[in-house]
Amino acid sequence: MSPESWLYAGATVLGAVGMWLLLPRPGERMRWVGAAMSVVSLGLILSQVSALGDMLSQSMFIVIGSTTVISAAAAVTFRNPVYCAIWFAMMLLGTAGLFMIQGSHFLSVATIVVYAGAILVTLLFVLMLANPRGNAPYDRVSWEGPLSATAGIVLVGMLTMTLGGVLKSKSFAADMPSELIAAQEAQADDQADAAGPVNILTQDHSASLGARMFSAHLVSIEVAGVLLLAALVGAVAIIAHSRAAQPEEAKSAAQVAMQAPSENGRDR
Amino acid sequence: MWEALIKIGLLIFVIMTAVAYFVLLERKVAAWVQDRKGPNRVGLPLTKIRLFGMGQPLADGVKMVLKEEYIPGHVDKALYVLAPISILASALATFAVIPFGSIWPTADGYIDFVVAPGFDAGLIYVFALSGIAVYGVILGGWASNNKYSFLGGLRSSAQLIAYEIPLSLGILGIVLTAGSLRLDTVIAQQAETGMWNAFVQPLGFVVFLVAATAEAARLPFDLPEAEQELIGGFHTEYSGMKLVMYASAEFLHMITAAFLIVILFLGGWHFWGITGSGTEITWVTALLRVLVLFAKICLVVFGFMMVRWTLPRFRFDQLMALAWKVMLPLGMVNLVLVAAMVEYFNNAVAEKPLMVFLVMTGLMLVSIVVTAVLAPLGSRNERSPVGDLPT
Repeated sequence: MSPESWLYAGATVLGAVGMWLLLPRPGERMRWVGAAMSVVSLGLILSQVSALGDMLSQSMFIVIGSTTVISAAAAVTFRNPVYCAIWFAMMLLGTAGLFMIQGSHFLSVATIVVYAGAILVTLLFVLMLANPRGNAPYDRVSWEGPLSATAGIVLVGMLTMTLGGVLKSKSFAADMPSELIAAQEAQADDQADAAGPVNILTQDHSASLGARMFSAHLVSIEVAGVLLLAALVGAVAIIAHSRAAQPEEAKSAAQVAMQAPSENGRDR
Repeated sequence: MWEALIKIGLLIFVIMTAVAYFVLLERKVAAWVQDRKGPNRVGLPLTKIRLFGMGQPLADGVKMVLKEEYIPGHVDKALYVLAPISILASALATFAVIPFGSIWPTADGYIDFVVAPGFDAGLIYVFALSGIAVYGVILGGWASNNKYSFLGGLRSSAQLIAYEIPLSLGILGIVLTAGSLRLDTVIAQQAETGMWNAFVQPLGFVVFLVAATAEAARLPFDLPEAEQELIGGFHTEYSGMKLVMYASAEFLHMITAAFLIVILFLGGWHFWGITGSGTEITWVTALLRVLVLFAKICLVVFGFMMVRWTLPRFRFDQLMALAWKVMLPLGMVNLVLVAAMVEYFNNAVAEKPLMVFLVMTGLMLVSIVVTAVLAPLGSRNERSPVGDLPT
């Protein structure tokens, strides 16, 4: 195995153990050890990310990318659900920033509007109404910690390997004749010229995106629209039904919901 | 890169100064409405010159900076500190895509009066950041660990989420006629035809105006901090610089709302006869465009301040009924009207502007009357037969 492969393997193992230590579980946690291991693993993986064009975009990418990854890790490792939601919002902002670096303005702001502006705010609303601090301890531990930590870190490692071009150059390129590789690279360059970042960064990129979605993917859009409409009708039906059937129960639920967070039992 | 940094620095300086003086203007307008004099003592520091109280913002700023940074013992400290930061940061970041005029001609090309020129989704960006502002309110209310704060935060988030829908419906009409999500394209399209969007789609203008007032939490929509009921609402537990951050974020939201109203519906920098309409401009027209834009902004902000002392506050169920039963259907009607106009009478705005204005105003009045008959806002002030659920 080459040094890069050893590095990826080491980073993956280190990250998996670190994330497992970080995840909320009963008993002693050793969180600082886990945090240190995860950070070292993240640094090892980051060192293999291929360089972008200039210094400014490279440093921006590293800052926003590590913010996103660290926030994502924090979103699953904190015990207080409100903090998890805030870290998740931070991760969404980081993702939007990564989209922005790639020049896809619409996708970036749409991520914030849909996830951070609508879904997560509703979730936060429910969390605060439900007063999460009163829950039993077994509700606040993550299930299948080792498996999920390993799966997450392996995914990150594989994506980085693909991004760094290690997989391509080490495993496939060795068996191929050099002319074939050259031809493939030329073809890839042509495709990049035809449909790559140049095309995305046009002046009316939202308009071209909309034109493509409503021509090439028209059926998917229609199906998604029908699904959303069905969900809307279903929500109205549930509300109308429960109001007509159980006025007393709804009344007591509204009273329970007005309780503010209690003072004690605070942890993160 | 340097151009962008200089623009950002200039923008933050101008905007924060404008906020300080809008606070003074608000106090002056309040005094004028209530037949008082208002703040008129503080002038130039260390002299006896009063300058009609123009030094008041400076004195207020110094006072607030020197106040103790007190964090109450019963709060969730991290979120308590994070909440005002997030609301002020999102309110300031909004201005990155807002054009402060047209363009300024230089020897080699021109300079855009906007921090991020060429951002292709400017309108949605503004909405994304107003969605982030909800976090500041809801987190501040929750982290304060105080029932008044919590109720204020809950009210506010429900209100902001509810009024985002008519707001975006009002904007969809603009996107349909302009065919772009860029704010400068929206202005250019209005300047080209000479018909401001407020005349082409008056119903959308009304919906957007009400929803923008609610989003900025100005009276009559200031339930999140209704003093008589909630002391200070979500910022009851805040003091010193953190309170200043909340207060300036609120004023920034009002200024953003004024900018959006002017840019989307009142023609932006365009005024008939004096600003021209194309991209071939001299520095005189460039300056005139900036002045026209700022005059319009100040008029709209003055309107907000007059409304504050004119209309009483809504009750919460009336607020929600206005959003869901009145503004939402009206926004839908406006969207259908504009879509029909764009599809079937696309040249009518340029050829018969008066006709378009009259037809659209007539349709607006009809739809408002129909809504008023079908969904009357007046309530009987009785308990709902179903229980205490918010309606």
